[in-house]
Amino acid sequence: MTNFRRWFHRFAVRGIVWRRYLDFGLTNVPFYLRPVMIFFWTILFFFLAAPARRAILSNLRVVRPGSSPLLNLGRAWLTLYNFAWTISDAADHKLAKTEFAYEVEGGEFLDQLASAHGAILLTAHMGNYDLGAAVFAQRFQRAIRMVRAPEADGQTAKHLDESLERAGGGAVKIAYNTSNVALPLELLNAIRAGEIISIQGDRAVANVSQRETRLFGENVSLPDGPFMLAFVAQVPIFPLFIVRTSFHRYKIIAREPIFCVRTKRDRTIVIEEAIQAWSRTLENVIDAHWSQWFSLVPIFPKR
Amino acid sequence: MVFVSPDLSETMKDGGSPSGREIGYAFALPRLIARLGGRRARRAEFSRWEAYGMGILVFGVSCVFVAHTLLPLVRPAFAQLLVLLLLPFAVWAAFLLLYYVNSLMTALLRRFGLYSAMTNNLFQHHVIMSLTTLLALLLVRDESGWMKSLGVFWLGLLFLNLISILFLKFLHEL
Repeated sequence: MTNFRRWFHRFAVRGIVWRRYLDFGLTNVPFYLRPVMIFFWTILFFFLAAPARRAILSNLRVVRPGSSPLLNLGRAWLTLYNFAWTISDAADHKLAKTEFAYEVEGGEFLDQLASAHGAILLTAHMGNYDLGAAVFAQRFQRAIRMVRAPEADGQTAKHLDESLERAGGGAVKIAYNTSNVALPLELLNAIRAGEIISIQGDRAVANVSQRETRLFGENVSLPDGPFMLAFVAQVPIFPLFIVRTSFHRYKIIAREPIFCVRTKRDRTIVIEEAIQAWSRTLENVIDAHWSQWFSLVPIFPKR
Repeated sequence: MVFVSPDLSETMKDGGSPSGREIGYAFALPRLIARLGGRRARRAEFSRWEAYGMGILVFGVSCVFVAHTLLPLVRPAFAQLLVLLLLPFAVWAAFLLLYYVNSLMTALLRRFGLYSAMTNNLFQHHVIMSLTTLLALLLVRDESGWMKSLGVFWLGLLFLNLISILFLKFLHEL
């Protein structure tokens, strides 16, 4: 890559410039002007981030079937608007330690997760997962190891890692979901040491173990790594989501844990049943909060 | 290193993080209104009405003022329509420029030890409030009824908020 191309790449949608500009905005824009600023920035990115917009539209066609294309365009804008709010709230928490109000749905499962000796927190690209992990780690004084899909831009990835680790007060560690063979062993050791591993289970990236399941009546591939880990380590999987409900307000949705219990039954069947349970939970939460499903790549097969 | 709380969802609701039902306002006026209505509200940025309402009002006053200044200079109706369409984007860009200029001023103040807050938001807030008040004063002088009303509305809110600050200070709640 030439020097000019490298410099120009910083301005790409996922480039570092926008992340740094977001930090600038949050330390310079009074809270009451943020809704207006985010509104206009979303309009700009709605046109600039064409691949993300197309991906949201293709997912919406399945999640909200029978809707007019125009209505889905509006929904795609709303999804990007919510996305802008969640990344800015996460950065706000990191930079200014701004308070957010939370309500909890499924508090008993959250209690179980917080007191578990080693567990898998299975979440989705939904709502404010970055802020959620940071707040959970800080408030409950539990270390969390977050497994993320690798960022396209190296500098952005570095910036995000630093942000998350700073927001979580050092209790959030990042691991990237690549074809690295050492990662599963690392995660297994961490679980056995009592850590909580947070994994996004709504999207399978290339070269990562995955299995087919049904979501909204379509065949999709979801990562099966979390279920294999749960089976080997014999720890529960806690589905957990954090959705934005209003200005500086969030709802933590904890669902019934999924178990991959080792019995005489075939391991494949146990894991497949667990994936099906997860896809039912995922479908249920996405259906209720479709405008906060930030899966910016197409999930469903092309029609 | 690991601390386990016996009832963490309660911790989140009551102690650890603010509960989802908690009321908080950044400005003194809604806090005072809540108090007069028998509800307890603390100083926090939890209100969407406050954030969206105030933001739209500040941005709206700027847009109305710029439109009021520009429109007489544009004659054809379609050009006026185009100006009205592009105006919010131009005002948005002007705000971005204003934040940048203010950030440079804050950097200068920090250098001389005259400003030490964690973020520049407070300084930006004072500049934006002053500018909006100035624009509102100019709108009050206008002959058009609704523009005058907008200016008076802003000045009224500002006055009531200042009174509320004094009132809450008197009650030791600020």
